[in-house]
Amino acid sequence: MKKKVLATLLSAAMVATLIAGCGSQEAAAPAPEAPAEEAPAEEAPADDAAEAPAEEPAADGAAAGGDYSFEIIVKSYQSSYWQAAVTGVNQKAEELGVKVNCTGPNAESDIADQVNMLNNAINAAPNGIGLAACDQDACLDSLQTALDKGIPVVCFDSGIPDAPDGSVYATVATDNYAAGATAAENLYPALKDKIASATAPVRIGEVNQEATSESITSRGLGFIDKFAELASADGKTVAVIGNEYYVNNCKDKGDEASADVIIEVAVPAQTTVELCATEASVILNKADTIGMFGSNQVAAEGILTANENLDVLGTDPASSILAAGFDAGSVIKGAITSGKMFGAVTQSPLAMGQTTVEILTKIANGETVSDVPTQGYWYDSTNMEDNSIAPNLYD
Amino acid sequence: MGKNKSVISRLGGQKFIVLLVVIGLILFFSAVSPDFRKYTTVMSILDYSYYIALMAIGVTFPLITGGVDLSIGTGLICYSLTGGFLIVQKGWPVWAGILVTLLLSITIGLLNGVLVSVMDLPPFLATLCTCMITRGLGSIFSKGFGISWPTSGAPGSWFRNIFKITVNGTKIPLGFLWVLLLVVLMAFVLNHTKIGRYTIAIGSNKEATILSGINVRFYHIMAYVISGFFAGLAAIAYSAVFSTVQPGTGAGFELEAIGGAIIGGVSASGGFGSIEGSLIGVFVICLLKTGLPYIGLQANWQQIITGLVLISAVMVDIMKRKKETA
Amino acid sequence: MGDVILTMKGITKSFPGVRALDGVNFEVRKGEVHALMGENGAGKSTLMKVLTGIYKKDSGTITYEGKEVEFHNTREAQSAGIVIVHQELNMLGHLTVAQNIFIGREFKKGIRIDDKKMNEEAKKLFDRLNINIDPTETMSNLTVGKQQMCEIAKAISHDAKVIIFDEPSAALTEAEIEELFKIIKDLRKQQLGIVYISHRMDEIKVITDRVTVMRDGTYVGTLITKDCTKNDIINMMVGRVIYEDPKEHSMVPEGAPVVLKVEHLNAGKMVQDVSFELHKGEILGFSGLMGAGRTETARAIFGADPKESGDIYINGQKVTINTPEDAVKCGIGYLSEDRKRFGIVVQKTVAENSTMATLEKYTKGLFIDKKAEKDVAQKYVESLATKTPSVDQLVVNLSGGNQQKVVIAKWLVRNCDILIFDEPTRGIDVGAKNEIYKLMNKLAEEGKAIIMISSEMTEILRMSDRIVVMCEGKKTGEIGIEEAAQETIMNMATREIG
Repeated sequence: MKKKVLATLLSAAMVATLIAGCGSQEAAAPAPEAPAEEAPAEEAPADDAAEAPAEEPAADGAAAGGDYSFEIIVKSYQSSYWQAAVTGVNQKAEELGVKVNCTGPNAESDIADQVNMLNNAINAAPNGIGLAACDQDACLDSLQTALDKGIPVVCFDSGIPDAPDGSVYATVATDNYAAGATAAENLYPALKDKIASATAPVRIGEVNQEATSESITSRGLGFIDKFAELASADGKTVAVIGNEYYVNNCKDKGDEASADVIIEVAVPAQTTVELCATEASVILNKADTIGMFGSNQVAAEGILTANENLDVLGTDPASSILAAGFDAGSVIKGAITSGKMFGAVTQSPLAMGQTTVEILTKIANGETVSDVPTQGYWYDSTNMEDNSIAPNLYD
Repeated sequence: MGKNKSVISRLGGQKFIVLLVVIGLILFFSAVSPDFRKYTTVMSILDYSYYIALMAIGVTFPLITGGVDLSIGTGLICYSLTGGFLIVQKGWPVWAGILVTLLLSITIGLLNGVLVSVMDLPPFLATLCTCMITRGLGSIFSKGFGISWPTSGAPGSWFRNIFKITVNGTKIPLGFLWVLLLVVLMAFVLNHTKIGRYTIAIGSNKEATILSGINVRFYHIMAYVISGFFAGLAAIAYSAVFSTVQPGTGAGFELEAIGGAIIGGVSASGGFGSIEGSLIGVFVICLLKTGLPYIGLQANWQQIITGLVLISAVMVDIMKRKKETA
Repeated sequence: MGDVILTMKGITKSFPGVRALDGVNFEVRKGEVHALMGENGAGKSTLMKVLTGIYKKDSGTITYEGKEVEFHNTREAQSAGIVIVHQELNMLGHLTVAQNIFIGREFKKGIRIDDKKMNEEAKKLFDRLNINIDPTETMSNLTVGKQQMCEIAKAISHDAKVIIFDEPSAALTEAEIEELFKIIKDLRKQQLGIVYISHRMDEIKVITDRVTVMRDGTYVGTLITKDCTKNDIINMMVGRVIYEDPKEHSMVPEGAPVVLKVEHLNAGKMVQDVSFELHKGEILGFSGLMGAGRTETARAIFGADPKESGDIYINGQKVTINTPEDAVKCGIGYLSEDRKRFGIVVQKTVAENSTMATLEKYTKGLFIDKKAEKDVAQKYVESLATKTPSVDQLVVNLSGGNQQKVVIAKWLVRNCDILIFDEPTRGIDVGAKNEIYKLMNKLAEEGKAIIMISSEMTEILRMSDRIVVMCEGKKTGEIGIEEAAQETIMNMATREIG
């Protein structure tokens, strides 16, 4: 009986999380209440996720899951993004009554530190490990060890494509390519008229922090491909120039000489704010630039930093350059509120953290699980306060 | 010996050569990229140079003693995070946050000084340790998350105007004025006060300085306190110019400051250097960082060229020295 | 000679395991130059360090100007008027002359250091000493001799009543020593008490009024200089008779082959068109003033500095030497004047230093054959009579003379047939000096060819079979030992000047 209750409870929690992901305002406690189970995700009245009923099953869950302990390793403590993920993990753990231990290196570049942490986690022999890997290859040996010791691993935020068979039970990650495309889908309509009426080629800039990590490159390429697709649909030709990686890996790099729309991709020599800002300045300085996209918090803030001196960004395509960002944080949110930034795409780290713990618990209970893709959500000054968006706008 | 000084060394030696390099870089980038000539670009270069310039002014002192301070980069981030945390999360007034930022920087400088001067740790090792410590401390103070000091326009953002004010729609790089004033002030300290004199003396011959009856411990510590304090000032500049300060970053800033100082003529083995030289050296690095993207160079090439320029700067120094001793 | 200004009585000082000073007495009068002599390790420096407060004495009394005193640091001693002019010059090379002289007690205007006043005061000091040095010149641009003058000026500027000279002439040329003596005599006239520590017998005779001799931390005795001979002093120092007179004639056998021939060597300003030959079994002295280009010539031959032109022949074969490695392959060994910087690694053992230049011979695969290394080191410890408890002793613990022997062993292990000794006895006491001389003679007898660079005229005259004299980068003379006299050599050494 107990087991069945738990199972119901978990699947309920699962769905609730998805709801939270899609727009629950009540991110703090996605209610694992039974009725929610039947509700179709997109219609879920998240507002109704009442606190009081949630208490009861949570307490029950605590009793059931109390024996499990999980190790969660995030990529870094570099951005407020991970705060939301860790918060999600802790919330869900408390709710289910499982023990979690969150660690993570100082910076995403501290790959070796993270591998150490992973090995320590394996040595602690937990019931499962949640891993947001900094490097796709560095963890492979450790994953084999985990597999040998029978410790299940759930990847979140980024997947590990070459992981030893059977070591990674599921991956909870934003579909970065789709998230990048979301930015294009929302930026393009605002610029559509300007592109249509332009007599000379126009330029769209894209600043990517680097050209190596899967999540950043996917976002960058997702934006490029979707923007090109939308422009082509309106009969415009598109060319992609700039950083070799992006030019060579987008669907169609076009021909700069004859293009109506030029997408220029910039990658700084190091991932520091001022170099992102300098790269952004170079593009913002060009007279034919009408739009910008920064594919993560650092890149988006780089664009805003460049604008401090240039003052060319705004929300009116006629008089200013429209910039789209990625991720949240007080600076980007402030820029959107004040009209410096047109809008941005946010992920739902909170939901990712919650889902990870849930899936780990499921695995520990012997259930089969599968990958869970999470989405990116567009937000701008019109919907920032919406209940469906606000919880994901971590500072 | 000494009497037949060359024209160049009479004009200030390496400083003069490096100043020519700075002018050359400006001319070159301006010729290739029209956008580089814009006032806004000048503003950006200056904006992004303040924190490196301030660190370079400070680190010149330990360098002249024959040591080094590797903790200034991560220290900067640590101080900025701490001050920002108090202001943003704890609601402290900005001036109090700035005060804490500076006090913390002085404390870490003092710690470096004590480790080097009293405990006799090699400076490289001592400051490498505090580099790691500040890196960790920064994450702890900020609870691991990025901190944004009050953004422009927000209440408490007055400190951003210390470095840049807008007069009739024109932005004035006020920060550059402060940097220049501090250069003048610290050049005076280095050349005309006891602190500076003994800093050079320690770098020339520490034993002899001790035998001259000087409290070498105190002055050696002071060199690191100055370095720490300027890292604190750099933290304020960094927080004012950029938006979000990320924990875990900052490693590598110190190399730009130290590299700038050495390009500007500070002897890598101590005993010799100038504040104004360090400032000029920093601008070589800043110009490259800003200029290379403007001429359309891709990331990897930027790094290669920066490396090559640094090597040639050091080579010039070595060749000059060989000539002088020959 | 005036009244007694300083008396040290029954001074005892122990370090863990060593009694460095044992009831030593010493006295200085106003207007006298009092030599303090003794072999290295006899306790002279320790005694002076006790006097100036660097070390604290265990027992005994120091009476200065009629009062019993005890200084706690050099600064206290300085302000009381007792100043040391150190053996190792304590110069701050990057500061100016005036800044050096007034270091630690700068004149100030508010917080600003008044460099102008310091320059004026320094100028006054130099005028008083009758020397011509620009106070604004950077210290590292001065010659060693001039730097020494600055040290003296610094001492006087402290209103010194007692000045201690710790081996002041060690790094000076003959001409510079002359000038130093003039100044010391001046100071004596001004009723200062002067302590003069030196190994050089000739100087002691010339400049001092009394000699106090120490041996093994004990007081041996005090003599009136003019009433004793060099040998008296030496006998007191070492307890045995060892002095030798100049070489009378060349010891090189008739028709000995030329092993090294240098032709038209040019390397910068300091080496201009230098040519000479070196025979098997010969000791070729290189004489000249400080900065004459002797060391530079040696370094150019050895490949340590780049050559501009010139040919080198070894045993008649022309060779190319661009690096010290090339030189070593040609069988040339170079014993630097600055042992600690270039000659040995003080924190390594005797054995490790001995095989440093030959390590490939003492490795088995990747590993060093410690046994073979120790064996060969032991062999040379015996043949050179190096005083060391074992070949495992760290070189830092050996005396200067024995360190020099380790350097010699290093090159002998390497089988070098041509040895360049650059100031082989600098900083080495009389007893050990003698041993080094014997060793060099023995090496020459065995057929090694030796170039000996030396600034000490007696050393040149005593050791060389032939003498090359240099001045300002040019070879200005070459004479056999038979015709050599101090005056002829000095003439050649100053030929280019004025």
